[in-house]
Formats: sequence, C-alpha cells, structure tokens
Amino acid sequence: MMRLGRNGPIVLLTGLILLVAVAMPALSGTSLEVSRYLANAIGQLAAFAVLAISLDLIWGYLGILSLGHGLFFAIGGYVFAMYLLKHSFVVTGTVPDFLQFMGWKDFPFYWAGFDFFPYAFTVAVLVTLLVSGIFGYVSFRSRVGGVYFAIITQALVYVAMLLMFRNDTGFGGNNGMTGFSVLFGWQMGTSGMITALAAGSLAVLALVLMLCRWLVGSRFGALMLATRDDEIRLQTLGYETLRLKLIVWCLSAVIAMVAGMLYVPQVGIINPRVLSPELSLEIAVWVAIGGRGHLVGAVIGALLVNAVKFWLSSAAPDIWPFILSGLIVLVVLVFPNGLMDLAKFRLTRPMGPKRMAEEIGEARP
Amino acid sequence: MKLARLTAAAGLLAVLLFAPGLRADTLDRAGLVQELCGDAGAMGRAGTALVATAASGSAEDRAFAAPLARAVIDRKLGCDDAGAVLDEGGLDAITRMPRAAAGTPRSPLLSLKNRPVFELADAAFALRGAPAVAQRAAALKTLERRPAQIPEGLLDTAAAAESDAGLKEQIDTLAQTAALNASDPAARIRAIGRVAENPSRRALTRIAALESDPAYAANPEFRAAVDAATARIERGIALGDTLATLYNGLSFASILFMAAIGLAIIFGLMGVINLAQGELIMIGAYVTWLVQQGLRVAAPALLDWYLVLAIPVAFLATAAIGIALEALLLRHLYKRPLMSLLATWAVSLFLVNIVRVVFGTQNMQFETPFYVSGGVPVIGDFIFTWNRMFAIAFAIVTLALTWGVVRKTPLGLNIRAVTQNRDMAACIGIPTRRIDMMAFGFGSGLAGLAGLALSPIYSVNPQMGQNFIIDSFMVVVLGGVGTIAGTVLAALGIGQINVLIEPLWGAVAAKVIVLLMIIAFLQWRPEGLFAVKGRRK
Repeated sequence: MMRLGRNGPIVLLTGLILLVAVAMPALSGTSLEVSRYLANAIGQLAAFAVLAISLDLIWGYLGILSLGHGLFFAIGGYVFAMYLLKHSFVVTGTVPDFLQFMGWKDFPFYWAGFDFFPYAFTVAVLVTLLVSGIFGYVSFRSRVGGVYFAIITQALVYVAMLLMFRNDTGFGGNNGMTGFSVLFGWQMGTSGMITALAAGSLAVLALVLMLCRWLVGSRFGALMLATRDDEIRLQTLGYETLRLKLIVWCLSAVIAMVAGMLYVPQVGIINPRVLSPELSLEIAVWVAIGGRGHLVGAVIGALLVNAVKFWLSSAAPDIWPFILSGLIVLVVLVFPNGLMDLAKFRLTRPMGPKRMAEEIGEARP
Repeated sequence: MKLARLTAAAGLLAVLLFAPGLRADTLDRAGLVQELCGDAGAMGRAGTALVATAASGSAEDRAFAAPLARAVIDRKLGCDDAGAVLDEGGLDAITRMPRAAAGTPRSPLLSLKNRPVFELADAAFALRGAPAVAQRAAALKTLERRPAQIPEGLLDTAAAAESDAGLKEQIDTLAQTAALNASDPAARIRAIGRVAENPSRRALTRIAALESDPAYAANPEFRAAVDAATARIERGIALGDTLATLYNGLSFASILFMAAIGLAIIFGLMGVINLAQGELIMIGAYVTWLVQQGLRVAAPALLDWYLVLAIPVAFLATAAIGIALEALLLRHLYKRPLMSLLATWAVSLFLVNIVRVVFGTQNMQFETPFYVSGGVPVIGDFIFTWNRMFAIAFAIVTLALTWGVVRKTPLGLNIRAVTQNRDMAACIGIPTRRIDMMAFGFGSGLAGLAGLALSPIYSVNPQMGQNFIIDSFMVVVLGGVGTIAGTVLAALGIGQINVLIEPLWGAVAAKVIVLLMIIAFLQWRPEGLFAVKGRRK
C-alpha cells in the first residue's frame, strides 16, 4: 500500500521537467545550446513518459494490465499525422505519398476537415473514447480481468495492426504516413521547431503528471486503490466498481492518445509498427522497471529504458533485446516494484532475499 | 472335339487381333520416296502417308519414315535420277545404304499447304520415338497447335508408351482436346462425357470453349451434351472447393490445436499465460532441422525419416527448456500472473534473438520426404495434399497422447487435481510444485511437437512463433482453461471460421471477425466453452 501523503519526489520531478522545458528554448543561441538530435530525443522521451503514465494509471493503480495501449497511442498518432498531411496539403499543396501510391485523385471522404486542428483533436478524443468505452464496457461487465484482459487487449492491438497494414484503408497502409512539412503554419524540421516540440512535450508531461497526481491523491484515487486491492469487498460495501474502472480506463486511453499526438511530429512518420504487440508490451516493461503504482516510477522507467534504447540502437543494436530481456527478468524476480525498491533500501543491513521480501511487503509464495 | 473347336476359335481370334497390324505393315517405301520427289500434290499424299505411319505404322516403318519427314522439312533430301539421298549425299533414301548422289540432287521445296502436314508428321514421330523427354515435350507443343489434324490413336499409343508422368498427363489432356475437336459428332460427344468425368477449372474452360462451336447451335444432341457436361463440372468444382476449404480449415485447426493445447494445460493449472509458447514452437522446428542435418551427416539412408526421428528429440528439447523456465523463473511468480506475462515475454525475446544470432534470419531449408510431398486429386480443384494430412494426423496423435496423459496417468490425475483446487490438492499430499514443473515441461514439449508438424507446411524462421501465438491465445480464451475438449472445439471453430471468411473478405477481415466474435462470446460465457468446475482464481 503506498503512502498517499508523500509529495516530495513528484514535485521534484515535475520541477525538473519544467526546468528542462524552459531551459531548452532559453539556451538556444548560446554556447550551451542543446543539439537538434538531443532535443528531438528529449521530446520523444517525454512522449513515451506520458504513455507510461497512462498505463501506470490503469495497471499500477487499478491492477488492470493492458497489453494494447499501443492502440490508443496509434489513434492519436494517426489522427495527428492526418492533420499534418492535410494541413501541409492546404498550405503547400504537397500531395501525400500514399495518395500517389494508391493512384487516388483526392483524399477519402473521412479526411474532410482534418486540416482544422480542433476538429482533428475532437475526432481523436471521440474515437479513443468510443473504442476504449465499448471495449472496456463489454470486458468489465462480463468481469474479464487479469490475464484474460491482457491477452484480449493484445489481440485487439494485433488485429488493428493487420487492419492498418492494408493499403486500401486510406491511412497510408504498410508505408504509413510521412512527409510532414508544416505544423500550425510553421515550417517543420527547423531547430526552433524541434526545440519547441520538445519543450511542449515536456510541458504536457508535467501537466499530465500533476493531473494524475491530483487524481490518485483524491477520494477517487483511494477508491481506485481499494478496487485494485479487493474489488469484491468494495462491491460488498456498496460501491459501483464497473463505472470507476471504465472512467479510469477511458482516461488512461485518452492520455495514451495524447502521447501519440506528441510523438508523431517529432519522429516525422507513423506506420502500423506502432500497433505491434511488442510496443504495447514494452510500455508495460517501462512501467514495471520504473515501479508500477508510482507515477514517478513510470516516468523514470520510460525515460531510462528509452534513453538506453536510443543509445544502444545506434551503438550496438544486436545487444538491445538481450539487455531488455535481462532487465525484465531482473525486475520481476529481484525488484518486484522496480526502481522504487532501490529507493526504499537503507544500506544498514545486508541485502538478502529475506530482507527484500520484508521491505517490499509483497507476500511471496 | 471340344478342344479342336476351342483351338480354332483362338486361332480366329488371333487372326482378327493381328489383322490390322499386318495391314499397317504394308508401307510402300519406294513409292513414298518417289512421291516425296514429285509435285506438290504427290508430296501432299506422301505427307498424309507419313502422318498415318506415325500414328499406326510398325516400329520399323516409323524408324524408316521419321528421317524422311525431318529431311524434307530441313531440305536435306536430295532427289536424283536413282531415287533420293539423305543428308546431301550420305545415304540412299530407300535402302539406307551409303551411296553418292547420281548427278545434281534437287531438294524439293514444301508448299505452304504441305508444310504443316510434314511438321505434324515430324512431331508425331518425335513424340513416339525421341529419346529425350524435352524433345517429346517440344513435339507435343507442336501438336497442340493443331489438335484437329492429329490422327486418331496417335496420342493414346504415345501416352501408353510415355514414361514421364508429367508429359503423359499433358498427352492425355491433348488427346481429350483432340477428341473434342474431332470431325465425328458421336466421338465428340463421347469425348465431352470423358472430360466431364474429371471436373476441374481447366475442364470447364475447355467445355465452355465448345459453346462458340458451330455445332453447338446446329446440333441439339451436341448442345445437350455440352450443357450437361458444364453442369456436371460446375457441381464437381463447387464440391471440390467446399472440400478444399474444409480440408484447409482442418489443417489450420490442427496447427492451432497443437499450438494451443500446451498453453491451455499450463494456463489451467497455474493461471500463467506463456508468451514464449510461440518461440517454443519455433525451437521445435529448429530442432527438427538440426535432426535433419545430423542425419545428413551420420545416416543419409535415414534422411527421409527425419520428421519421425525428430519427434522425441523435439519433444524432449522443448520440454527441457520449459522445465528450466518454470524452475528458474515462473516458480517465483505464481502469485503475480501479470508479472509472469512480462517474464515469459522476456524469454520469448531472448529466444528469438538467440536463434537469430545463431542461425540467421533466413528461412530454413527442409527436405520434403515422400510421405509429405504431392497429393491425391479428389474432385474439382481439391487436392488431398500429404503435407497437410501429416499435420492433421499429427494433431490427432497429439490429441490422443494428451488425452491419455491427462486422463490415464498418475501425473494427469495430479494435474487435474491441482487445476481444480491447488490448496486442497496440496493438503492431501500432492507435490504441487513438482506437478507444476512436470506439466510445464509437458505443455512446452507439445509446443515443440507443433513446431515439428509445422515445418513441412510453413516457413521456419526466428519470427515464426509470433504468427501463431495470438491465434492460439484466442483458442485458449474461447475454449476455456485447462480443458482438452474445449481446446479442440475452439481450434476447429476458429480454424474453420478463418478459412471460410478468408476467400470472401480476406485474411485480415477473418482475424477481425474472429476477435469480435470471441469478445461477443465472452459476454455470454466469460469462462469459455468448457469451464472447469473449480474455484475461480
């Protein structure tokens, strides 16, 4: 059971995030300027951290593991890519690659209005709520939970991937969508734009972090933890857990969708690979490594794992899967609460499995 | 008395039988050569005689006449005062004795009308007499251009003598086409009936082509025969397609069943979904490949039987991996099933990458032993292929084996007891930890067998496991945990639905619809088709 009163780490982390967000634009032009590559990497890491928070909210605080959060991430990413392409088309007249590839003369009808961002954003939110709402309702209503839920969400994201791989859906097919040139009227790819996107992503991360902190610290958050720890008892006491689970699930989906929106303009491409079950599993790994049930842990886990991944995928791409699988085994066997376990250890007694079990407080079989 | 009459009858029969053969022997060799050197009309008669010889002449006559046809086409026949010489003065055309040309030899030129006749004769000789398969095949190509001119009987005798199975089939096909285009209406109707006996899309095209034939409008009998044949072939094709769909569905279901049964046992027992199950399938296929390579070096005579010899090896290798996985990793995670998902995913990531590093990403090459190659054409375009039959038979054996272990052995009894109520089973002295380990090993071994059965059908590479894993999860979710009957039914259902939908809307739509159906189904029965009566975990 986590202590609700401790605000220290989260304030510290939020402050740090905001500091970087302010420092990056402020330092541009000076000798300490952040390189384009680094700024871009920071921005992507921030998007991943938002994604990790969204999963931590549902897994860490409600005990429901989703292996399909890539789906909501992709909804945000695809809608933002549609906005960017349509906007670029309106401003510069560039015809997207996939239209030429398919030999289509015009955008499909459901692209109408996507050059207007508020409309695109509304569509993204509505689609996310629709998909997560229907799926969550039918699953929670029939009490599908635990491993079953995880497996079915994985199948969901897999099927969505197969669907998006088709070229005739009007969403770019297996090549995906790329070639974004203009964002909100400004040229993309410039240093200023990259820094602005990274700073914006960090700001959104800080905002999401504070919002979730407020949520889990509220009475509602206490109910979430109660549902996670003993749902049947809570129901016996007269609480309706279906609605609670559904609300958190949809909120989590929307946050994942926002992460997708932050991610796409920074990598400059979206394709069905973001829907692969591996990515969705990896999100769970970030949270597990950082420590589920701790917002700070989720953020640190996402930042740390992805920073190592960025570094290794250029330095030694073949080693990365081995390191990742080793990390997962280490976390699930030795540090069930991830890095948070490390933070709890006081180095007065030697660390043995017995003491670990004591400190972690989780019943071992 | 009786004996004498019998002998007489036999003698008469012999005369009747051999009479046509005797008559065909009388090829006028000198006359033929003379006509070859004559005017266009004489050459035409000679060409017809050559074609007749090719169809029904004796072996000696054909050996005599074949070089003549070739020589006229190549303009290597030299007509001189003493008859003719072959090869520009090498041999006499009639006696085939070496002699020089008398005077200046003249090479007769084929008219436009006669050339096709001689080419036909040449091809007919080649089809019956050429030593190489390629030459006979080329001759058949020439004949195919003019099916109506092919003399009766030529193709039947050629097909009977043909040693190459593929070419023999082509000759038979051409024989039917020729008969369809024969001049005698009764022969044509008979031919139509014969074509309709083996319905296929090719037969349908051939019969459909006859509808534009003048006889179709003129001759009502012909028309009726064509229409009846079309209807019969269409029925046959429809039946064949249905059977082919069911057969493909059955083989897909077999694969699904083998991939899922181990998963279902493990999930029922421990509540753990093994995300590395697909990789255990992949390991099973690679072990099969290693056995094949080992046999190639150690015992090449047994190479054909590698699929059988690999059965224990694949089972034991994957079972050992499974037991190690359980003892080192999952043992500590039974109270945390969600973490076990991540842990087994880490294992799958590790296995995929270690195989990729060791063997590379390319598809592995497998021998195709005789018992998994080819097939029996049944009806329409449905071919009963042996490689799919192998998978189906293998699945049935696996099913029997699993059923036997779970129902008839002490281990199976313990597995069922622990599945129903772990705590109570432990109370009455069942070593639950040991049972977990054995069951995990058994389930993993079954995955290895699935990999073996897959290797003749699917491509084997490090990524292959991921193609099956989600489908087999769906089988487990639909079938209900830990029941063999549920797994069988769910595999059959998902397999058949997949192949039924695929031709209509494509493979992706099939997967989408199957997933939606499963989600809808879980509304009605959240525990799957067959829920084990026991405590809900």
